[in-house]
Amino acid sequence: MMTLLKVDRIETYIDQYHILQGVSFEVKKGGVTVLLGRNGAGKTTTLRSLMGLNPIATGAITFKGEAIHHLPTYEIARKGIGYVPEDQGVFPDLTIEENLKLAMRKTDEATLERRDWILQLFPDLKTFWKKPSGLLSGGQKQMLAIARACVNDNELLLIDEPSKGLAPIMVDKVMSVIIEMKQRVTVVLVEQNFYMASTIGDDYYIIDDGRTVHTGMMKELKENEALKKEYLGIA
Amino acid sequence: MEVLLNLTINGIATGSLIFLLAAGLTLIFGLMHVLNFAHGALFAWGAYFGVWIYTQTGSFVIGIVGAIVIGALLGWLLERWIIQPVYTNTMSQIQVTMGLLLVMNECIKVFFGPNQVSVQLPSYLDESWLIGGVILIKYRLFVIAIGILVFLGLQYMLKRTRLGLIVRAGVMNKEMVQALGVNIKKVFLYVFILGCGMAALGGMLFAPYSGVIHAEIGMDYGILAFIVVVIGGMGSMVGSALAALLVGVLGAFMTFYVPSVALAVNMLLMFGVLMFRPAGLLGRG
Amino acid sequence: MITRRLASSRWWIGLVILLLVGFPFVSDSRGALILMTQIFIYAVFAMSYDILLGYTGIISFGHAMFFGIGAYTTAIFLHRWDHSLLSFLVSLLAVLVLTGIVSYLIGVMTLRLKSHFYAMLTLAIAGLFLVLAEKWRDVTKGSDGFTFYIPDLLKDRTSLYFVALAFMILMFFLLKRFTDSPTGKVLQAIRENEQRTESLGYQILHYKIIASMVAGLAAGLSGSMYAITLRFVNTAVFGTNVTLDALLMTIIGGVGTLFGSILGSALILLVHAGLTDLAKIHWIFERWMIFFGAIYILAVMFFPQGIVGMFRQWRAKWSKG
Repeated sequence: MMTLLKVDRIETYIDQYHILQGVSFEVKKGGVTVLLGRNGAGKTTTLRSLMGLNPIATGAITFKGEAIHHLPTYEIARKGIGYVPEDQGVFPDLTIEENLKLAMRKTDEATLERRDWILQLFPDLKTFWKKPSGLLSGGQKQMLAIARACVNDNELLLIDEPSKGLAPIMVDKVMSVIIEMKQRVTVVLVEQNFYMASTIGDDYYIIDDGRTVHTGMMKELKENEALKKEYLGIA
Repeated sequence: MEVLLNLTINGIATGSLIFLLAAGLTLIFGLMHVLNFAHGALFAWGAYFGVWIYTQTGSFVIGIVGAIVIGALLGWLLERWIIQPVYTNTMSQIQVTMGLLLVMNECIKVFFGPNQVSVQLPSYLDESWLIGGVILIKYRLFVIAIGILVFLGLQYMLKRTRLGLIVRAGVMNKEMVQALGVNIKKVFLYVFILGCGMAALGGMLFAPYSGVIHAEIGMDYGILAFIVVVIGGMGSMVGSALAALLVGVLGAFMTFYVPSVALAVNMLLMFGVLMFRPAGLLGRG
Repeated sequence: MITRRLASSRWWIGLVILLLVGFPFVSDSRGALILMTQIFIYAVFAMSYDILLGYTGIISFGHAMFFGIGAYTTAIFLHRWDHSLLSFLVSLLAVLVLTGIVSYLIGVMTLRLKSHFYAMLTLAIAGLFLVLAEKWRDVTKGSDGFTFYIPDLLKDRTSLYFVALAFMILMFFLLKRFTDSPTGKVLQAIRENEQRTESLGYQILHYKIIASMVAGLAAGLSGSMYAITLRFVNTAVFGTNVTLDALLMTIIGGVGTLFGSILGSALILLVHAGLTDLAKIHWIFERWMIFFGAIYILAVMFFPQGIVGMFRQWRAKWSKG
């Protein structure tokens, strides 16, 4: 399988704080790569650094063989990377329709087709089409955020804790959608919910204290109680 | 009764002029979080350069177009070279834009001399009708009409165009707009240019309305526009329009009945709003 | 190392004071003496502004109100009561009380606001004072202003020079004391990071009010002295330009250094005087504010540390080798 994204020893500062101190990982085309780790380990910052929202100080980020770490956020997005932040980042005063319209960089046949495909995955969005998105439930906002990230012909989705604050039934729903999307895009997922991470993840990286400390196949991690306990605090 | 009606029309016309200034201020603040203290200077530049073009060409319309062009051009230069480098630094931003106000006002005195300039209306606008004791001055109605047109145009832009969509989204979450692939800096520039163009238009319309212009109108009307924006709620276009009318009409009545406290009343109004409802009447907290 | 540097800085502060004390004995130019006197007084005003801008990180566009209150209070005392030294001293006391009250009230009401709104509101409040001074003609004589006699002791330009010099030195050390005090340290912490200072348990508003009161008191006193040198007062003392002068001097001299304000005051008044002379040759020099305004904008954008800051940086680099 071809490497889609290569993150090479990136370090990131926020103000004077040294948040990322050497994060490296590779994402293969077509899979779901999960970033695991405790709270405050640097997972969210890693995604933000990938998007150029917290620019890296050293290291390199290569997407489809091209260095992207020096690009401004909007150009990184245009390379074909969709981003779903932890707080979903929906625009509360805009309707669902407007949120999607804003995200659509083109209005060609393919984009419209993708939009319809997404709406069929998330029928709720269709129901509340003209409602301000601030009125949606947490799960619906999550769906809108994911829809917004893949309405363009993105090849990579960065999704930050989609299960956060969701009812278990919504978690299952979001999970099934991500599995469905795997056919079209590659996903980097930050997830605390180990059930979700282990169900949909193909391979994983563990980030601890701003460094990638461990990697492997998700199948193996499920069996490895010692590792889970050491880095994730789960028994 | 006639007096009341006249004062009201007068106030609405003044309110329209203030709105042209306040609209840009609130738009720029809402999106970019830049409070442009030099915004009033654009008003003064619009007035002086517009009038200059008007007297040179003899055409009031060319004067108006010229003022807008000058305003937009200045907006482009200022955004690019002065505002952009200090976007993220609030302290520098406040200081730089204040310095800009100073320099731009002085420039007017250099170009046009320190004395006030008197302005005549073109004859086709210099008419009035007497209807049942109420004097309708054509130019005032003209100013009101332009104010309404600009307001509607802005509403259309915000609600119906992609630029407007980006602006509304940008007010809420700039990072996310960029993460969706939008170059927000370009949008900042457009909005800044738009705001400066409107301010210059306001100044140009003000010139024959008041009959004389002087370099200090930038500061005076700049403060009025601030008051309006604060009362209406920073970033709220409808709020600014309403507050501009309020300040305009209130000002007209005050100058008529108790002229000595006219300015003070506006300041106290702003003071009260900032104290008790800092987000403004229609702003979100 | 630190003590040595401190000692060396004491040493050259002493030298500067010595030179300034010797100045009237060397120069017999009345104009130069008056100019120097004004530099001292403006230096105090600029230092008071530095307490806000440089030490606390607050931008006020209404600092002129305290300057104006000081100038008018002293002028009215000397004009209405008598022009004895006692009257002057009582007026200073009145200035302290008035500016103390005004700065406290305004601080309580406005310092809660975010920087943009605070800057704007202080601009508006100073505007109100200007309007008040223009409308209250019985007392202020409006924009025409009025002249008044000053105490005999201060009539002589040389003695006024020494009084102003003593005033500046006294205020410098008092304010220095204040900025070095625990309260001053908290203010600087607020400037660096407001949230963090707050989370450490300091009441930000409380400290900001103290800063604005200290600045207001000092500004009021400088206004009194200013009125004395002019023997005249009009509404110009409340003008926005007065605040901008202080801003300019502080920025160009170097914020957060106090000494920078003195340097800035000297530089700007000297260059201003020079340009006013040049105005006889070409009118463009009458618009000297353009030059300062442009320099000021460039300074904020590219040399935010000012002359003193640049000098310190340069010295630090130099001593490192």
